[in-house]
Amino acid sequence: MASYPKDVIRDLIDGKLPWQTTKPIMSDFKDERRFEIYLEILQERVPWKERILLPVGEHLYIVEKGAARIVKCDCGHEFGPYTENWKLEALVYVRDDERSLDEIYPGARKCDPGWMELREYYCPGCKAQLEVEAVTPGYPVVFDFVPDLEGFYRDWLKKPL
Amino acid sequence: MEKAIQTTAEAAPERRGCGPEGRTLLAALRHDRELLEQTGHYHGISDLRLKAENYLHYESLHARLRSAVVNARETSKKISASPGVREVGESVVALYTPEGDSVVLSTGIMVHVHTLSRFIQWMIERDYESDPGIAHGDVFANNDPFVSDVHPPDLMNVTPIFHGRELIGWVGAVAHELEIGGVYGGANQTTTAERFGQGMIVSAEKVAANDVIRRDFFVRAEMNLRTPVYFVLDEKAMVSACIDVREKVLEAVEQYGLDYYKRAIREIIEEGRRAHLQRMKMLTVPGRYRSVAHAGHLFEGKVGASPLSRNCIVQVPLEMTIDRGGFMTIDYEGAGRKMWNPYNCPPAAMDGGFFVTLTQFIDFDGKVNDGCWFATRMICPPGSWCNPGDDMTATSSAWGSLMPGFGSLQRMISRSFLARGFREEVFLGQVNTPIIEGGGINQYGQRFGGQNLECSSEGSGARGIMDGIDCGYVGWNPESDMGNVEIWEMILPILYLGRRIWRDSPGAGKYRAGATYSTLLMIHKTPLYNIVSTIHSDKVFDNQGMCGGYPGPTAKFEYVSRDTDLAERIARREPLPHVEGDPRRPDISTRVGGDFRVVDGVFLERPLRSGDLFQFFYNTGGGYGDPIERDPEAVRRDLDNGIQSIEIAESVYRVAARFDAAAKRHAVDEQATRKLRAECREERGRRAVPTRQWMARQRERLLRHDLGREVKEMYNDVFGFSERWSREYREFWSLPDDFVFTV
Repeated sequence: MASYPKDVIRDLIDGKLPWQTTKPIMSDFKDERRFEIYLEILQERVPWKERILLPVGEHLYIVEKGAARIVKCDCGHEFGPYTENWKLEALVYVRDDERSLDEIYPGARKCDPGWMELREYYCPGCKAQLEVEAVTPGYPVVFDFVPDLEGFYRDWLKKPL
Repeated sequence: MEKAIQTTAEAAPERRGCGPEGRTLLAALRHDRELLEQTGHYHGISDLRLKAENYLHYESLHARLRSAVVNARETSKKISASPGVREVGESVVALYTPEGDSVVLSTGIMVHVHTLSRFIQWMIERDYESDPGIAHGDVFANNDPFVSDVHPPDLMNVTPIFHGRELIGWVGAVAHELEIGGVYGGANQTTTAERFGQGMIVSAEKVAANDVIRRDFFVRAEMNLRTPVYFVLDEKAMVSACIDVREKVLEAVEQYGLDYYKRAIREIIEEGRRAHLQRMKMLTVPGRYRSVAHAGHLFEGKVGASPLSRNCIVQVPLEMTIDRGGFMTIDYEGAGRKMWNPYNCPPAAMDGGFFVTLTQFIDFDGKVNDGCWFATRMICPPGSWCNPGDDMTATSSAWGSLMPGFGSLQRMISRSFLARGFREEVFLGQVNTPIIEGGGINQYGQRFGGQNLECSSEGSGARGIMDGIDCGYVGWNPESDMGNVEIWEMILPILYLGRRIWRDSPGAGKYRAGATYSTLLMIHKTPLYNIVSTIHSDKVFDNQGMCGGYPGPTAKFEYVSRDTDLAERIARREPLPHVEGDPRRPDISTRVGGDFRVVDGVFLERPLRSGDLFQFFYNTGGGYGDPIERDPEAVRRDLDNGIQSIEIAESVYRVAARFDAAAKRHAVDEQATRKLRAECREERGRRAVPTRQWMARQRERLLRHDLGREVKEMYNDVFGFSERWSREYREFWSLPDDFVFTV
């Protein structure tokens, strides 16, 4: 079973590892301690103390806050329970006209705003663009992921949650 | 759609047959599934005995079988005359158990490994063992989507492997045809609203005996196809591959022993099943994942489109659940009804899309076979576009719905990789693959039909630690190759003026999608070339980004210029168009005189002729991460390489750059870039609103029925079809229980 030092994992997830080193990691058997090291690296980077239970995005984590488990941005903004869609507590900007779409897709390559819109969800704290939805107007906000945290920790990781 | 076998044969399964232990093949299939049901293990194999007893011996057999199918495919490609197979590699060869479960497979269009399974099982269920009979040297061919196929261009062949009187397995091979005799020439016929018009269909027919393909089968191809040489030689190539593997399997049986072989092929599948579940637990996180994709289609008012086909948006919702055992279920609940257009998917197509996704994301090495199939489940609502339950439905452009759907699956699996820390496996790969096809009179003065399958190497979606693959990926064949320009010029009446990277095509993100390309064709030496485009999405993005990345652009438009002064410009040695240039004022409209048009949607126009120009654009996928977090140096590199424009660098990536003419490279102003990015965050804060506030306004809009016709028709279609999805929709927006849109 493969095993990698923390520095290698850090560079890997930051996209800084040279391809010659990355490719063998992709091709080899996966390292069993990855999740543990991954959490350590992420925990060291955030400016707050709550324990990270599971990353769910580039900036978002499910964390333990007292007895609650909430979604939190690395800037510190808290969205609420992980069992509810964090997007509902975010800021949203919708590109639903030719002008706003043209900023991203000049010329004929954009969607028809009558058929589709782009919804950009921002963190209310740091204004990071957390997700973009390309959906038909009127489509419900997509709830991307609800993990089975108990099953993951107890049955798969064999660790207490 | 459940994967359970639905038996329709009336044959008594208790009679002596050619299957294992003297069972009929139908009885063997039923027995095999009962064992799986009762024990939870494939074929009831609870211990990998042969592997435990002598690992090397067991592995050597697996390697030998795998080598046989890979080698047979490579050899057969040299028999084919079609660039689709020879250059692009549109073929696959696989070995199956007597019950039709795959044991080993070659590289290539792995999407068909499970469609072949379904084909074999279709024949078993209908007691082909009795009539027309199954004997050594027989070959059965099929391209009927509702027997088992994605669409008619995919011609499959299977041959049984007999040891004495016992059938001990099957070999199958598939090749994608460039011409299948549809209404306008080519293969993926986008104009037909029903099964009829998709081209020549072969429905599970015995086409060879004693290893000799019947002459009348070739006569049929010669009489029904515009360019039959591809079909005829592909058929010979596939049959040769089947025979080649059969003989190598029989050699292996001699060496390893029959009983060992029969046990080993089933252990190999059970090992594949177990490995899949172990990998799920190693790489993913249990839970519920959701996504949605859409594909749009314009038909109304198009010359040549069926009057039965309406403009429409295909809703492709997908839910994936991973349970605590690592078992994956994917559910297309919320898909709309089957359609009067060719973007429906037969069950085998859905199988194929699922299988090829699994082989790229979870089951990419080791024992890659149907083992993973027994550790997963797919639900496709009966009567929907993804499980029409109607053999008359058209499916010739099925990929146009498949790829958005399984692109969603890739994104959901990627989200689990991200959560687990395996960011290097995050990959937003699959997107639609627009195709140029058609027919007319070729440069040799002959009537012809054919596809340009260069779409086999598009840009991929982004990865979690790096950009996507530039001009080198397609979802249905991980072994992508676009083919040389010269080979397409040889078989089609065209000359390439350009096949270049399409600037600003990648879906933007911290890691961008792979760049894709556009092709600019000069129609050459033909009085009549009826070009049609197919397999892409009109008016809507058919893919999504992830973690703040944008989707790749919609590529469903074409530039055309007729009656050009190209010949005069060439004679005067003036500059010619090669790339798109400014998308608001394309080069094809400014660098050559002629009647220029942008065509939206499927290209169904009057035929082109020598001297006309046609420019086509290929898809790419979504970006990963917030674009303003992209390394400015990466943006600078893309500017130097013509992948990005300065305009997009500033408006999307918020990078201040300029071209340094003296240094002949772009330069980034780091201070100005930091300022632009800070301003972008402020701008976001000013223009955005709290989501719940926006939702309240949207609810009012829905109650006013203030949506476009096609959008409302899409929702109404699902309201009348999926109770669960409709209930969730109305609950989300707090709409009345009986709410429907007024169109």
